[in-house]
Amino acid sequence: MNTVAEKTVGLTAGPRRELPITWQLSAHARRLATLAIAGLLFAVITRRAEFAGLAAPALLLLIGYRADRPSAIGAELATGAELMTEGEQGAVLLRLTGLDAAQARVRLRPAPWITGGDAELGADGWYRLPFVPHRWGIRPVGTIDVTMWDRWRLTECWLTVGVPSVTCHPRLAVLDSLVVLSKLPARLGEHTSRHPGEGIEFDGVRDFVPGDRQRRINWPATTRRGTLQLNVFTAERAQNVVVLIDVSTDVGEPGRSSADLAVRAAAGTAMRYLAARDRVAVISFGRKLQWIASATGRRQADRIMNLIMTAGTAAGQPLGGLSALPHSALPPGALVIVFSPLLSLRLVEALRELRERGFAVIVVDVLVAQPSGGAGRNRAITQLARRIWRMEQEAIRFSLRELGIPVVAWDGQAPLDEPLAPYTRRPWLTTEMVNR
Amino acid sequence: MRNARSLLAVCLLEAAIVAWAALPAAGARPGAKPTLIAAVCCAVFGLAKLAASSTAVRATADQDRGLPEGKLFLSAPERMWQQAASALIAVPWPQLLIVAVIGLEALHPPAPWHTAVLGLVLLGYLAALQIAESGARLAMFAVQLPLIAAGIGLAAISVAAAALPASSTGSGSGWLAVLAAVAAILAAALALPV
Repeated sequence: MNTVAEKTVGLTAGPRRELPITWQLSAHARRLATLAIAGLLFAVITRRAEFAGLAAPALLLLIGYRADRPSAIGAELATGAELMTEGEQGAVLLRLTGLDAAQARVRLRPAPWITGGDAELGADGWYRLPFVPHRWGIRPVGTIDVTMWDRWRLTECWLTVGVPSVTCHPRLAVLDSLVVLSKLPARLGEHTSRHPGEGIEFDGVRDFVPGDRQRRINWPATTRRGTLQLNVFTAERAQNVVVLIDVSTDVGEPGRSSADLAVRAAAGTAMRYLAARDRVAVISFGRKLQWIASATGRRQADRIMNLIMTAGTAAGQPLGGLSALPHSALPPGALVIVFSPLLSLRLVEALRELRERGFAVIVVDVLVAQPSGGAGRNRAITQLARRIWRMEQEAIRFSLRELGIPVVAWDGQAPLDEPLAPYTRRPWLTTEMVNR
Repeated sequence: MRNARSLLAVCLLEAAIVAWAALPAAGARPGAKPTLIAAVCCAVFGLAKLAASSTAVRATADQDRGLPEGKLFLSAPERMWQQAASALIAVPWPQLLIVAVIGLEALHPPAPWHTAVLGLVLLGYLAALQIAESGARLAMFAVQLPLIAAGIGLAAISVAAAALPASSTGSGSGWLAVLAAVAAILAAALALPV
């Protein structure tokens, strides 16, 4: 509707900026002028005074037109949060100054995958524009359209303010119970190991030997057996976990594609293991191979999130086997959890190689999309191709299971605990699987 | 909801001004019928343009959750339809409607009070249109109330002047009435402290 060229200004959060504006005659003023001129013209043509009366209110309203309007306004932009999570509400703050008597309407024109809300003007003069990102990634929020009128609505001007992008982290998949290996490295942690140690999990009693701590003597057992008996506890160990994200292929509806699911599941799993004080490494299997060496703590969580945000896009090693990875990225004896749609044969080969090297590998299948059934004359051929594709997929999964790599499917909705339940109830005996 | 209400108000006021200007059907001069048809067309297109602009805002908001359609090439009928739609949107239909309605009123026998009522309804239509387009509230016109009241007063005076029997039967009396009305409006415009 607006024929006037809009002005786009890219603002970054910070101090007030002066933005020049150009006022134009509003559509309301043009209509009033038409009514006034037409009324007067018809009054003169028809020599009927009532038409001049018809033009009177419009003419009087037009005398509010003034030329002394502000030629520039001040704009301040503040972004509420630069780091967000999918589905979390954020806000952009905008303050306009130097408007004098002019009125302004502020509206967020959201970019794709962003939902914008109505702008609210606070008592402090800041417009608060809420928005919600619906997909992870580094997302542009959109632009803010500012329309200004003078108090008589006879002139108007437009301004478009560019809003900086936000970094939107993926929504973490829920994972409460953990897959823990039966054989854990000798590193202090929170998982109960099978070896005796200084933990708090009771393991049994044994005879007291000189040098043992007296406070650990089990007096009821000592009374029963007649010799000093000592409580024995299990050691508490940390495990090495490698989260492998396969983003080499991305199929399915955007927002619920295989890459979306893989990223959410990988982020949720990595954060859960880090919370359990395990050492976590991440490998991104996309167009390039990227990895983060295993570590623990808050900084590692940030590093992992940064890698996930650029998974499949940033520079890395040429895609090849995983054997080239250093021990820090793939520690020996680590649990490898793979999130993949299993459409890349290179990855399947890499998983075979990992299994042969003795790693405990578990695959979470994130493929929820299927090829369409086809229509028209080619329907029969399409359905045949679909069946062949399904059989191929089943064959890939079967071959992995035969190698001792369990494959579980995750739909992206339920908690990850559900597909992983058979492997989280008790420590996972990896040696048995190697010997199978 | 508020948008739908303002759209409905514009629709009703458009219907009212066209119907009021077309009445009484008897006694109209030749040319009234084509002018009526033109007024109806302007009203319909103006309303469609207004509805399209508000629907486009909603559709943009709905599409924002998905990826852009990315349709690079349009078929010839689609392209023609888009060009026709943009051409229709570019026409200032409300202005044409105002001219058509005043012309239609002029083609009817003189009835000063009838013209005054048409003027009031036209003023209401312009206010409703501005509210529907900008999403503003009715309170926005509060500052303009003294001017609107003065305008209505002048309209009433001019209607009364037109209703008075002319002092002479010549064409000069009509001119005199018109000049007096215009002078009164200009005097009021200059005198009003805005």
